[in-house]
Amino acid sequence: MQTEREAVPAIQPKKKSARSSNLRSRLRSLRQNVARHRLAYLMIAPTVLAMLLVHLVPTVEAFYMSLLNLNQYTLGQFLAAPFVGLANYRFLLTTPDNPIVSGLGNAARNTMIYTLTVNAGTLGVGMITALLLNRSFRGRGLARTLLLMPWVVPTYAVGLLWGMMWLRDRGVVNMLLVDWLHLLSDKPFWLIGPNTLWAIIIPTIWRQLPFSTVMLLSALQTVPLDLYDAAAIDGASAWQRFRYITLPLIRPVVAIMLLWGAIFTVFGYNIVVMMFGNGGGYPGEWGDLLMPALERQSFRYWLFGLGAAASTMMMFGMMVLVMVWYRIFRTSLIQE
Amino acid sequence: MAILSPRLRKQLTNRLADLLLLGIIVAVLFPIVWMVLNSFRTNQEILTTSALLPRQWQLRNYVDLWQQVNFGLYFRNSLIVCGTTTLIVSLLATFSGYALARFRFPGADLFGLAVLGTQLIPGILFLLPLYVNFIFIKKRLGLPLVGTNVGAIVLYTAFFLPLSLWILRGFFAAIPRELEEAALIDGCTPFGAFWHIALPLARPGLVATAIYVFLTAWDELLFAWVLDVRTIPVGIRLYVGQYTNRFDLMSAASVVATLPVLVIFFLLQRQMISGLTAGAVK
Repeated sequence: MQTEREAVPAIQPKKKSARSSNLRSRLRSLRQNVARHRLAYLMIAPTVLAMLLVHLVPTVEAFYMSLLNLNQYTLGQFLAAPFVGLANYRFLLTTPDNPIVSGLGNAARNTMIYTLTVNAGTLGVGMITALLLNRSFRGRGLARTLLLMPWVVPTYAVGLLWGMMWLRDRGVVNMLLVDWLHLLSDKPFWLIGPNTLWAIIIPTIWRQLPFSTVMLLSALQTVPLDLYDAAAIDGASAWQRFRYITLPLIRPVVAIMLLWGAIFTVFGYNIVVMMFGNGGGYPGEWGDLLMPALERQSFRYWLFGLGAAASTMMMFGMMVLVMVWYRIFRTSLIQE
Repeated sequence: MAILSPRLRKQLTNRLADLLLLGIIVAVLFPIVWMVLNSFRTNQEILTTSALLPRQWQLRNYVDLWQQVNFGLYFRNSLIVCGTTTLIVSLLATFSGYALARFRFPGADLFGLAVLGTQLIPGILFLLPLYVNFIFIKKRLGLPLVGTNVGAIVLYTAFFLPLSLWILRGFFAAIPRELEEAALIDGCTPFGAFWHIALPLARPGLVATAIYVFLTAWDELLFAWVLDVRTIPVGIRLYVGQYTNRFDLMSAASVVATLPVLVIFFLLQRQMISGLTAGAVK
């Protein structure tokens, strides 16, 4: 590949005299292009405007804000606040003992664990559920509809609901585990300490399960049945059929699911915020995620410069994640 | 297992699979059932009971929600914000989605890539400057964008446009091009071909997209919270922040917030699923 590319002659540097006429002809062709595609440009114009005003401009502003000492005293000056270069980034990276930085560090660690666990869990349980649904039996439509129900509960209500369910003394989870089923002898704390990670992971898997079930089920239904028959005749076990026929064929859907799952979990906010103190509390060292932590640090303490720097780092983290995702699933995406 | 005949074995695994599925369904439904049951209990009962069913079914919580918590206002605001956003986004996304699906114009690839790229930006990153910008606009131009439904509608419209047009693009691309070409030959303008031929055919996609926008807006808390827009999630959060441990009202509020989604689900299940999954499939 590489040698082929090198064999193509490099573009000749243009001569100076040709440049101005070249520019003029380019401008002309641009104008012609705009005229020819006027309808297309008119149709995308509102969206482009919206994306410029509410996505691009604020993002650029935020990059610049991350280079400013923008706090409650300088907020009035906004973009004229003292320029401090990379000081906010340096502060975030070199003072791990500062309570704000360590709080964000905890949130970053939790977000990573949360993203990995929720998506692995959603994929695993969703796959089992989809396989169970992908058989012919009476009441299949009803079963599918019932399994979709968590989807209709808004995520903030999910946080509120599970926050009540996880309560130590009166929560239904501990009632179930201790009073009804006697699986545990003592009621554990779910909303304090390391258990809080599970307290946010499990409801998120619960909420995301319908989505992954629907996606995987529709993917499973596109697999041609005669492939299974042929494999069965060749003596392939059920696991082998799943591993070598089903899995490769549904890989593109798994790829898309994981990407959206990653966006949903990395940027997760509602469930965590509404779960602790019924929406007013601090999620604690093991329950905090990046979005709630950044919102709290930025808006409660008016640390906009620092918040912008941390948000920028988060965006680069997300880009790295997407690049890793792309490398893993590149082949199955192109096949599609 | 070896002593069982293959047919019997297959039947046995099928019954076991049924059982497992039943278990999953019960586990998945239980939290919702619990939420609904709690919404009919008194707070006293929630804090003391271990029984599954309420001692006495009472509607007091729902009445209190409207009379004490002013939930009617939040509910109305949510309907206004989400409804208006849905209308505007659906209209604009139709145009842009069609352009991206049908026309090969210079910059189309960049535009498509930028549309997807917006999804990778953490909301908090542009919330910080937007918040200051909105306050600036209010001070200098007198446009009240903070604490009003208008501010939320402007923001939500811009946020949900990119993905919505991406969903619609897929629906338009699935329509055979020949129909519009025939209309063009018959003397239709390119816009006419879009409006009279493609748009009616893409109606299921439009419904799916509208549902997607409405439900995403219905579920939005971060921006509404920071910009002080009194939608349902903000109202609930404000209320429970003030009076903790009113689990009866919280359950009722969760049920009320879920109901519109449930109605959409039962009326338009197919479109809702296609809208929410099309948001994820290209």
